[in-house]
Amino acid sequence: MSDPQEFSGQIEEVIRGLAESINTMAERIKGLQNPLSESQEKVPRATKQLDKIAEQTEAVTHHMLDTIEQLTQREQDIRNGLRQIKTMAADGNCEKVQTMADALIEKTDRSSNDAFSIMNALQFQDITCQQMNHAAAMLEDIETKLLQIISVMHGEVEADAIDWNPGAGKDRVFDPHADMVGRKTPQEDIDSLFEGKEA
Amino acid sequence: MPDLKILAVDDSPTMRRIIVNTLKRAGYTDVVEASDGKDALAKLKVDKINLIITDWNMPEMDGLTLVSTLRAMDEYKDLPVLMVTTRSVKEDIVQALKAGVNNYIVKPFTPDTLKEKIENVLAG
Repeated sequence: MSDPQEFSGQIEEVIRGLAESINTMAERIKGLQNPLSESQEKVPRATKQLDKIAEQTEAVTHHMLDTIEQLTQREQDIRNGLRQIKTMAADGNCEKVQTMADALIEKTDRSSNDAFSIMNALQFQDITCQQMNHAAAMLEDIETKLLQIISVMHGEVEADAIDWNPGAGKDRVFDPHADMVGRKTPQEDIDSLFEGKEA
Repeated sequence: MPDLKILAVDDSPTMRRIIVNTLKRAGYTDVVEASDGKDALAKLKVDKINLIITDWNMPEMDGLTLVSTLRAMDEYKDLPVLMVTTRSVKEDIVQALKAGVNNYIVKPFTPDTLKEKIENVLAG
């Protein structure tokens, strides 16, 4: 049997070592708190930025739509005027005027089609908005989890008592697969499903 | 073009404008708008609608729930519904078909596709 004094010295050493380890761990955990708190502050700012982008693209899109609508209305007025000129020219037998009118009508048709293509391309705004909503929902989920971790580290609540899937970001509406180009099912296959009514 | 009243349902004001303009260009000038399924049901009480064009992902009431609700109501069980959505996963399309959607387009759509599917739905 070892000397009790020696034994007690050994125990003291072990305890001292344990205390040092615990101190080091506590310092490291304390060191984590600042980055965690900073991250927790930055997430709402990132989410706000995404929301701002969605709002601003919507505003710009509406402005473009206003312009396109005015353009197409103007084109229609020009077309109508040209048709009248054509009719008058036909009555007066003026071939050159008729030819010119035809060419102008064709130009306005093309211009109108181009404007319409631009309008159609603005569908990107709806899809981009859904993609941003998806990103914002993920950020809000991270924010909630960070808050929960900080609460555990502050001893406000036990880790076991936390619901780690509280549903943050679930108020946001989006299709997680929304994509401008990447369709999972081509339109032809969709048509076959509906024509054959196969499920 | 026969007298036809179309209800366009989408929570995105941009998409509603695009759909309305596309419909007008195709000759369908009588178009009513709704911002979600709940709004659509309210509009149905006020207007005699001949065709619904609806998105899927919407707040308050999504498109799928709207269609299921309509199919459970005697007065709307045969009302033609065309779904226009970003959802392109096959399981979603099958779900929509089973819920009673008459045809389905994935966004972004072309004006020709929208016109074609409207004609198909109205003919069928």
